[in-house]
Amino acid sequence: MTDQVTRHELARMMAAAASRIREHQTQLSQLDCIAGDGDHGSAMLRTMNCLESTFNAETATDLKTIFCEAGWKVMGSDGGASSSLLGAFFLGIGEATKQDVSSWRCEDLAAAFRSGLEAVQLQTKARAGDKTMMDALTPAIEMFVASAQAGQLVTDALQAAAQAAKTGAESTANLIARYGRARQLGERTRGHPDPGATSIALIFEGFLEGFAESKGNDHD
Amino acid sequence: MKKFINRPENLVAELLEGLVLSHPTQIRLLGTNLVARAKPKAPGKVGVITLGGSGHEPGLSGFVGEGMLDVSVAGEIFAAPGAPRCLEAIRIADRGAGVLFIVLNHSGDVLSANMTMTLAQREKLNVKKIVTHEDIAGGPNPDDRRGLVGFLPVYKVAGAASEEGAHLDQCLAIAERMERNTRTLAVALTTATHPSTGQPIFSLEDDEMEIGMGQHGEAGTGRMKLKTANETAELMLQMLLDDLKVKSGEDLLVIVNGAGATTLMELFLVFRRVHQVLQERGIHLVRSKVGEFITTQEQGGFQLMISRMDAELLRLWDAPCNAPYFVVR
Repeated sequence: MTDQVTRHELARMMAAAASRIREHQTQLSQLDCIAGDGDHGSAMLRTMNCLESTFNAETATDLKTIFCEAGWKVMGSDGGASSSLLGAFFLGIGEATKQDVSSWRCEDLAAAFRSGLEAVQLQTKARAGDKTMMDALTPAIEMFVASAQAGQLVTDALQAAAQAAKTGAESTANLIARYGRARQLGERTRGHPDPGATSIALIFEGFLEGFAESKGNDHD
Repeated sequence: MKKFINRPENLVAELLEGLVLSHPTQIRLLGTNLVARAKPKAPGKVGVITLGGSGHEPGLSGFVGEGMLDVSVAGEIFAAPGAPRCLEAIRIADRGAGVLFIVLNHSGDVLSANMTMTLAQREKLNVKKIVTHEDIAGGPNPDDRRGLVGFLPVYKVAGAASEEGAHLDQCLAIAERMERNTRTLAVALTTATHPSTGQPIFSLEDDEMEIGMGQHGEAGTGRMKLKTANETAELMLQMLLDDLKVKSGEDLLVIVNGAGATTLMELFLVFRRVHQVLQERGIHLVRSKVGEFITTQEQGGFQLMISRMDAELLRLWDAPCNAPYFVVR
């Protein structure tokens, strides 16, 4: 039973992800200054605060309701492109989740992540390699799905996903931006990782940490 | 950073309150940070709405009013508002004849608008969307061209057409024709600071200017030594005329839009040279505007916009309008 994911575990995951973003807010905004307008850190923090409070609220245990509400709130947090895409991610998960489900196994979380990714892909043409958050989100979710299919536990699948997100985010330093505001900068964007991808890596790190904490075993 | 602000997190709410309180006969706040016409449009007429980040005042909410926009969805500083509030704006603006949704081509705005359209279709709302992308610095591909001050004639003619009772498809067609015939190019001299983070959004040397810089410090292609007003005007006008393929004898609307820190004095010098060059070429400068319509805080520089006008577009441009920052009587 320890491998179950309910609102309780998700709340811990969101809280830990929000903490990671909070700790790195200044760094994320500074990265955004290179190619954007320098507000990625504060925009992501608004998004994460929405997620944290939605999953913390004791109002619902039904995962469909929580994820739809989270998606809607994130979209409404006015964080520009990142909140539109993350909002689509959580709303996509909510819409793909059956009514009255309050607990997921690893493969259910994998299916949920995949629905979220598909919802994001409907909203943006950017794909891995374009120096956007997709460079971290896509490999993280692919890795989680593959790990779940291989029969791994949630913790191990999250570990693999977090590593994939980190590698993906770091790889953006060598890329030239092709989407978003940064695309106009071309060569000038090389040498610095994409702030959106960096945020996704931090979020998955937080997911891993929060899930481990919720099960009472420190992962470090 | 030296700015008169209270708490950064209240900036948007407070600036919108100030905007509305200073223009109580024209606009009011509705729902969640939506700027709407004080008196709703008559039933049966098409609603016209837009979305966009804040920090660009008087854009975009300063153009809500009779004859122009019905609702503006204001986002956070430089950040697009999300789909939920855009949907709210559509419901408010729909007077039974549908809504025209005017979106400036910036990735955050477009993502939010696309999501809004998906949700609006599910609710069976009658909405048509137009994306403005007239910044020639983006290159030949329209998707890469950003929406700059060219939103202004698009809002104006779409708003006027809707007041005349044009159907949604007709309003869209008018807006599209205006947009297709509009080109803008921006030049930057000095950076703006982000009012919430206090960070400069780009850097330029003291003796440099950059042609093609976007609304948020997005880099252009032409970083060069500072030129005179005349030289800059000539260079930019030539690029615009070439791109729009303007011929002698055609009618143009010209807008010189200050970025925030460039004085009217300088904008008039630029306009003067534009006027001279067009006259020499036998191109008719039939309408003009010089001022601040969309700014980026204390950024130095300006946008030069030209639009090819026909009789119908001119009639709609001249039609009565009563928005806080655009009045035609």
